[in-house]
Amino acid sequence: MAESTTVMERQSCFQFKTSFSPCTIMQVTRYDLDEIARQLDTTIQKAPNFFIGSAVILDLEGVKTQTNIDLAAIKKILLANNMVPVGVRGGNDLQHQEAAGVGMPTIAIGAKATSTPQAAPTADAPSPAESNKKPRETALQSNTKIITTPIRSGMQIYAKDGDLIVLSSVSPGAELLADGNIHVYGALRGRALAGVQGNTQARIFCRTLEAELVAIAGYYLVKEDIQELPSQDSSVQVYLDNEQVKIAAL
Amino acid sequence: MAKIIVVTSGKGGVGKTTTSASFAVGLATRGYKTAVIDFDIGLRNLDLIMGCERRVVYDFVNVIRGEANLNQALIRDKHAKELFILPASQTRDKDALTLEGVGNVLDELSKTFDFIVCDSPAGIERGAQLAMYFADSAIVVTNPEVSSVRDSDRMLGLLSSKTKRAEEGKGQISEHLLLTRYCPKRVTKGEMLSLADINEILAIPLLGVIPESQAVLRASNAGVPVVIDSESDAGQAYADAVGRFLGEEVPFRFLQEKSHWIKRLFSFKEKEAV
Repeated sequence: MAESTTVMERQSCFQFKTSFSPCTIMQVTRYDLDEIARQLDTTIQKAPNFFIGSAVILDLEGVKTQTNIDLAAIKKILLANNMVPVGVRGGNDLQHQEAAGVGMPTIAIGAKATSTPQAAPTADAPSPAESNKKPRETALQSNTKIITTPIRSGMQIYAKDGDLIVLSSVSPGAELLADGNIHVYGALRGRALAGVQGNTQARIFCRTLEAELVAIAGYYLVKEDIQELPSQDSSVQVYLDNEQVKIAAL
Repeated sequence: MAKIIVVTSGKGGVGKTTTSASFAVGLATRGYKTAVIDFDIGLRNLDLIMGCERRVVYDFVNVIRGEANLNQALIRDKHAKELFILPASQTRDKDALTLEGVGNVLDELSKTFDFIVCDSPAGIERGAQLAMYFADSAIVVTNPEVSSVRDSDRMLGLLSSKTKRAEEGKGQISEHLLLTRYCPKRVTKGEMLSLADINEILAIPLLGVIPESQAVLRASNAGVPVVIDSESDAGQAYADAVGRFLGEEVPFRFLQEKSHWIKRLFSFKEKEAV
C-alpha cells in the first residue's frame, strides 16, 4: 500500500478514491443449492432491473458452522442470473480459503474495510492540484459551513459533520445546529445547538450572548438560566463540563 | 418594465393596506403610472381605504380565471389620475390565486405601468407568499413591538428565499423597513421599542417612520389615503418615505416628541454625524 502511494505521488497514473457504490449483500441463511437457485429466480423476476449486473457480496455468517458449502456452485448460479459475485464476508476461515480459491476474496466487515491507510505525509510539497483536492477528502475539516447573511426568525441552519460559522447576527426564533462547534460573530439571539449528534466536546463561541437557548450534545440552558449567569455582554464560550452547560468569558 | 413592490409584514393590523394605499397614491402623484393590487382575497380592504368600494365590478380573481380582462377590473383612482386599483375578491379565499395566474396579471401590468404595489395579506401562507413571489422590492411594515418585529424578521427570511429573484439567483430583493404607529413619547417612557432596538434586530435600510396619528384612522374611515392629508404628520411622513424610495435624500421627522423641537434639530445633526 505504501509503495503504491509513493508511485501515485511521483507519476500520478491514477488516484485512490473512496466511494460508496451500492452493493447487494446476499445473506445465506440456509444452504440448499436448488432452493437458492429457485428463490433467486423468483426474486429477480420481481425486479429484474434492480439485480442485473449488480455486485453481490455473499454473507456466510448465517452458515459459518457448515462445512459442505459449494461456493463455486453458488457463484455459478449468480453469474447465470447476470449478477456479479465480488466476494464473501462473515463465515469461517475454511470457507474464506475456499472462496479465495474460486476467485471470491474475503471482504472485511465494518471498520476494517475503511481502514485503508491515508497517503503518508511526505517532505515534498504537494502539487497545487493535489492540495485543492485534499480538503474534500478529509471529511471533518471540510464540512465547516460559513453563513454571511443575517439568519432570520424561522430559519434553520444545520452544519452536518462540521462547524458552523455565522458572520452576521442570529434573530430570535432562528435555530443553528451543528455536529461540531458554532461560532457567531454577530449577536446571537436565537437558539444554538452544538454537537447535536452527541459530541460533548463541541462548544459555542459568540460575541454577544442573547440566545433563547444554547445546547451542547443535548444538554441545554434556556434564556432564563443564561440571564442569571454573569458575563453575557462580552465574548463568551459555552461548553459542557460534567454534563453541565457552562458559560465562560473569553 | 414595471417595478413590483410588495408591502408585507407577517403580522396583521400593522398598517400594510394603509401603507399600500398611501404609497401608491404618493408614487402616482409624482407622475408614475401605478397599479395597486389587493392580495387579501376574502378580506377585501384596500378598496375601502382608497374609497372606491362602490365602484368594484370585477376583481383580481375574476381576472385570473379569465372571467374579466384586466381593463375591466382596474379601477381608476379619483385622487390621482395615474393610479389604478385592482381589488380583491370578497367571496373567494386565497386558494383562488395561482402562481401562474398572478404571474400573468403582473406581466400584463408590467407592460404599461411604472410601479405595481402588491398589498400582501397577513400571515406567511399562500396569499402572502404569492404577493411577494414576483417582487423586486419589499416594504416591510413593522410596529414598535416585539411580536411585530419578530414576524417582520420571519418575513425577511422568506423574502430572501421564497421569491422568484431568490429562486432564479437574480440577486436579492431590495428590502425597506417602514416603521408605523411610532410614538416617541412612549419610547421615552420605555413602553415601546425604539427605532434603534428595531434596527438592531432587522438590520435593513429604514424607509420611513410613520408616527401614531389620529389622521390615519380618520383617513381610513373617509376612504382617502392619509398621504393626501398633507397637513397631518402621518401624511407628511408617508410623502417623505415615497421620496426616499425614489432615491431622494429626505431627513427623518417625527422621531422625537413634538414639544422638543430644538432637541429634534440636534438629534438630526447627531444622526447625520453617525
